[in-house]
Amino acid sequence: MTDAPRALTVTEAMALAKRTLEGFSLRVMGEVSELTDRSGYKAVYFTLCDPSAVMSCLMWRDAYTDAGVPLREGLMVEVTGTLTVYPPKGRMQFQVRGLQAAGEGVLRLKVAALARRLEGEGLMRPERRRRLPEFPDRIGLVTSPRGKAVHDVLRTLSRRFPAAEVALASVQVEGAGAPAAIVEGLRAAAASGVDVIVLARGGGSYEDLMPFNDESVARAIAGSPVPVVTGVGHEPDTTIADMVADLRASTPTAAAEAVSPACDEVEARLVTLQRLLGRGLLHAARTAARRVAVLRSHAVFRDPRAITATAAQRVDAAAAALPRGLRRTSREGDERVRLAAQGLRLGGRRALERAGETVASRAARLDDLSPLGILARGYAVCYAADGTVVRDAQAMGVADRVCVRVHRGEADCRVEAVRLEGDTP
Amino acid sequence: MTDDLLPPEKLRFSEALAELESIVGALESGELELEDSLARYERGVALLRACQARLAEAEQRVTTLMGELEEEAADE
Repeated sequence: MTDAPRALTVTEAMALAKRTLEGFSLRVMGEVSELTDRSGYKAVYFTLCDPSAVMSCLMWRDAYTDAGVPLREGLMVEVTGTLTVYPPKGRMQFQVRGLQAAGEGVLRLKVAALARRLEGEGLMRPERRRRLPEFPDRIGLVTSPRGKAVHDVLRTLSRRFPAAEVALASVQVEGAGAPAAIVEGLRAAAASGVDVIVLARGGGSYEDLMPFNDESVARAIAGSPVPVVTGVGHEPDTTIADMVADLRASTPTAAAEAVSPACDEVEARLVTLQRLLGRGLLHAARTAARRVAVLRSHAVFRDPRAITATAAQRVDAAAAALPRGLRRTSREGDERVRLAAQGLRLGGRRALERAGETVASRAARLDDLSPLGILARGYAVCYAADGTVVRDAQAMGVADRVCVRVHRGEADCRVEAVRLEGDTP
Repeated sequence: MTDDLLPPEKLRFSEALAELESIVGALESGELELEDSLARYERGVALLRACQARLAEAEQRVTTLMGELEEEAADE
């Protein structure tokens, strides 16, 4: 007959078609219709169409679950995979390996390119990240006035640190006008004198989050005069806003926690400071009392006349000696001597009086330092039986007699019980 | 030192806390005169009260810079 190749069996023809088609990996965009997604089935079946053609698709269930894009009829998607043939029915179908919402691939490429560019400018360097204030007095919040995010943040801040004031810039966070609104919100918050800014929004699709991948928003965050914390609820996607922020929190609530100290921790710190304050004053009072006690024990203050005693004796001796030594001289002389002696006595007395005045005024100044001043404020000094000041409760025993000096007087007391610091009362 | 000080309630929380900490430090140093110690102690107590009062505030002050806040149930 002829040299023409022998006719193929149907099976061979279909096998040939299958092999040929499966050699090409394709990326196809279309609208989902005729979706069959039953949990018992090993695969999800759907049809992709455009105005003039349709294509049957199947996607194995594990691949479908991994893709994380729930299909619904009317959704525009982008699929990758290969055309294949199902010989028992003689039908061609597309076996889907990758699936994403249409347009997202393009967006992701753009975002990745912008991220690389900003990284090249150094906007994502770790050393650019600023420390957050420990106790912010004003917290800026830039977010949508609608939805959970704003209330999550406000509730968390009010629970943790009501001492801070919140300055809210409620802005549009989705759609074409969102980037400009977010930039203005960040600017207004910083201009109002906040110490830190929370930029938050709840979760959304990749496309919904696009304003947080906007270059103007990224630059506004990087250029903010105060630290910015992002709380964009959409793990695992990291937006560019997250990358240039001073801190990235995974959710709005986590962002609020990051900018606020826990109230009870602050309270504990205040209690500690209160104790230290009391102890500090006591310490100061004891130091002053000790200084006064040292001064008071000085001999000079026990008997102020000691200062002038030696001089006074010398004046007396000189006065006594003078008339005797000059008795032989003339009456005139005698008279002059008498006058001189009188002058000396007067001078000596005056010198004595002056010295006495000096001592008195020193003593008066000493009074300013005296523990009496402290006593007037309600402190007491406790003297032991031997007259020494009791400085330590450990020095006292039950039944000891002590004298307690308070303002305007003192009382003899008997110790009933001694409690040391740290003992339970 | 007491002349140019603001009343504690006029201070920001962080300022009040920082001043309180410096007062405690000064008192503990033991280098102050007694009168000065008392003055600082009184100031410290006032600062402490102001800080504690701030923490105990039942409602946080929220000022709106842009837009209006909507009720929580609005979109749920």
